[in-house]
Amino acid sequence: MKVNGVPVTPPDPDARLLDYLRDDLGLIGAKEGCGMGECGSCTVLMDGVPVCSCLVLVCQAEDADVTTVEGLRRTALQEAFVTGQAVQCGFCIAGMVVSASALLAEHPDPTDEQIRAGLEGNLCRCTGYGAIVRAVREAAR
Amino acid sequence: MPAEQAREIVVGTLEYVTDLRFPGMLHGAVTRSAIPHGRIVAIDTTKAAAMPGVRAVLIGADVPCNRLGPADVDGPVLADQRVRQVGEAIALVAAVDEGTARRAAEAVVVTVEPLPVVADPRTALSPEVPKLHEGGNLAGRIGFASGDVEAALAAADVVVERVVGTGAQEHVAIEPPGGVALWEAGQVTIWCGSQNPGLHRRKVARALNVEIDDVRLVAGPVGGAFGARNDDPMPVFLAVLAKAAGAPVHMRMTREEVMAAGPKRHPFHTTVRVGFTEDGDLAASDMTALADTGPYVTSGPNVLKTSAEMSVGPYRMPVARFDGRVVYTNNANAGAFRGYGVPQVAFALETAIDEAAARLGMDPVELRMRNLLRGGDRHGLYGHAVTPGLRAAETLAAAAADEWWVSRREWQRAARGPWRRGTGIAMAVKGVGLGSGRGDAARARLICDINGHVRIWAGPNHTGQAIDVAYRQIAADVLGMDPARITVTVGDSQLVPESGATAASRSMYAGGSAVAAVCERYKAALAEAGGPARLVELGRAEFEATFHLPDVADPGLIPPKRLGDHAPHLVYGCSAQVVRLEVHELTGEIRVAGVVCAVDCGRAINPGAVIGQAEGGVAQGLGFALMEEHRLDGGRPLTTSLENYLIPTARDVPEIRTLLVEGDEPTGPMGAKGMSEVVIVPTGPAVAAAVADAVGVRPARLPITPERLLEGLR
Ligand code: FES
Ligand code: FES
Repeated sequence: MKVNGVPVTPPDPDARLLDYLRDDLGLIGAKEGCGMGECGSCTVLMDGVPVCSCLVLVCQAEDADVTTVEGLRRTALQEAFVTGQAVQCGFCIAGMVVSASALLAEHPDPTDEQIRAGLEGNLCRCTGYGAIVRAVREAAR
Repeated sequence: MPAEQAREIVVGTLEYVTDLRFPGMLHGAVTRSAIPHGRIVAIDTTKAAAMPGVRAVLIGADVPCNRLGPADVDGPVLADQRVRQVGEAIALVAAVDEGTARRAAEAVVVTVEPLPVVADPRTALSPEVPKLHEGGNLAGRIGFASGDVEAALAAADVVVERVVGTGAQEHVAIEPPGGVALWEAGQVTIWCGSQNPGLHRRKVARALNVEIDDVRLVAGPVGGAFGARNDDPMPVFLAVLAKAAGAPVHMRMTREEVMAAGPKRHPFHTTVRVGFTEDGDLAASDMTALADTGPYVTSGPNVLKTSAEMSVGPYRMPVARFDGRVVYTNNANAGAFRGYGVPQVAFALETAIDEAAARLGMDPVELRMRNLLRGGDRHGLYGHAVTPGLRAAETLAAAAADEWWVSRREWQRAARGPWRRGTGIAMAVKGVGLGSGRGDAARARLICDINGHVRIWAGPNHTGQAIDVAYRQIAADVLGMDPARITVTVGDSQLVPESGATAASRSMYAGGSAVAAVCERYKAALAEAGGPARLVELGRAEFEATFHLPDVADPGLIPPKRLGDHAPHLVYGCSAQVVRLEVHELTGEIRVAGVVCAVDCGRAINPGAVIGQAEGGVAQGLGFALMEEHRLDGGRPLTTSLENYLIPTARDVPEIRTLLVEGDEPTGPMGAKGMSEVVIVPTGPAVAAAVADAVGVRPARLPITPERLLEGLR
């Protein structure tokens, strides 16, 4: 497994990927909001595809290239979240940014409908999503 | 202006309280009641304590003062004689890792003799129903009449009566409660999300029988609050467990624990009668409300105070009466939740006004407009004078001028297939601060250095609304300084002087005013001394100020001695909203197409943050209106996780047009006032009005689920 480009050897194949990232590797960007694939706050990329890391076991990601929010290089997107005031409590934001980066990789110029569909798996309780959708749109420019 | 921590958040490096790790740290877990009501016969911890890796197991008897609040009805820290709710905490475990702690918590054997369950608040006061507390099942009552309501209703030309209900809403802050506690030399530091660090400090000190100065609470960063971090027992759990284990303890609740044991918005059963003259002038209103607080009192009676005051909305009301009761049941414990008792009563009143408009053949905007309070008018129930800064009419006018309201008929006619279209409008008002007679105050401290760099410690705390940024903006404005040369710290009880809760729409108004006051002091001293270096030299570089929220100058009909019992407000904010939506006439499914949110916010100091609060409030209001309800059956929760308790996603929330109706609040800092709660209030009734416009049936219950709607259509 590679995490943010660095080869790693997880000690426990049955651990959840989320716990491995947070507890063993100290990558605390991915958060646990539900532990059952409902909130998206634990979203990371596995070979470029967003997944809920709370539902993935380390052994399922053995050969994968895992990217967490800490490993993203789309600064325009992150900057748009900041300047667009899309961050309130911020707990959902790492997952949002990861999902949005995958969305922009697939649709460099997404429609609002595509943005909302792409972020549907990421719950945010603070923003009502408006500023988040605007930030993604802004970053696509 | 962006939130202070936003840059760290977007790259994932900000440590939330649940992200903290300390050397030698243990992990905690809670043993919880599986049944809604029962007598505890025995608690056996021997098996749990013997498990490898377990460092401490605690029950109620181990807590020095096993009380969460000053009264018995506030509940114990750990249930020791009786359990009154599914999910109630009975034992705490600390172990070397989270898995071991949870397994040990499961291994605590609790023998309980089940007792009859009080599940229906409507019968909770009947004599044959078991008493949940010694004093019976009435947790509080508030009543007030400004005159002879029956006579006024009898004389009215049109009287509308509505019997409505609203459900228990769960906050669903995306971060479940948790944190870390660490004892050093008899003093404890607790990192735990809190909207009320002062209150939590007092709770911890009381439960552990230590001095309040020995308790430090660092209340963030926290992943959302919305009221849920006001009564949260988590800081007490952490402190108690870390003390017993003799090591730092980390703990976090699972989502399932939050769903069962976390506070909820009080479910209400409400009846309202509203009378009008044939010209559309309001003649009287009479409202009766029943609120379910669950097993413990928490915020119940205070919530009802706000319900009473807001039961007449932002309207002139010649005569009004409110009679509200809060009752104990074995349902989920209710607590503070954004809007604090107002969404429930506004749903009753606003839908009644719509019904009256239909009967009178009047436009709903025109009917409201002719009855709205204008700034400086007297309150519809209590008769006190309200701030001249109230902009109810301007707010309604702004919403009604939006193209989505103006062109609603054309939009309706363009409906296709089974999707029928409707548009609704509603209005709401909410007081800013705790209300008169409550001694509501906030404080700020300031220190300058020789170069004129200013550090400010102020409360209330930031729980997502970037209040610290607003404090910085206010300070920069008063001092005429670059905000970059000002540092603001919030949320640490050791550093920030006691400033009360991040609640009641008071943070901007109260905290902002305290910051403005401390800056004025500094400014005056600067002018006198001739510069910051001189102040430092003189040993006068430190300042403190307290801001007391003003009480109403003239309490109207409230006897002055009872001011705090009713806690009327001087300052109010209001919001008017337009909702357009589509209803599938065969399935009852509802798609919201757009919301206009006009908000009377005083001067918007940080407009981007105000818009964010408005959009977030509307989204939460849409959840309350259409999908969110914590359901129980005989005290047993049916909605147990985010799999069966759904909140709005990016696809459910439409475009929200926020219209800031700006204008100075004369008593507020830089003309600002609170607005983050009122924006959740009109959404429910506006959705109901839009549904009625689409399919001709006015919903009587929130949430308006497809099943309920189809039932009404049949
Ligand atoms: S924590 Fe993984 S989806 Fe919620
Ligand atoms: S910013 Fe708080 S959950 Fe999204």
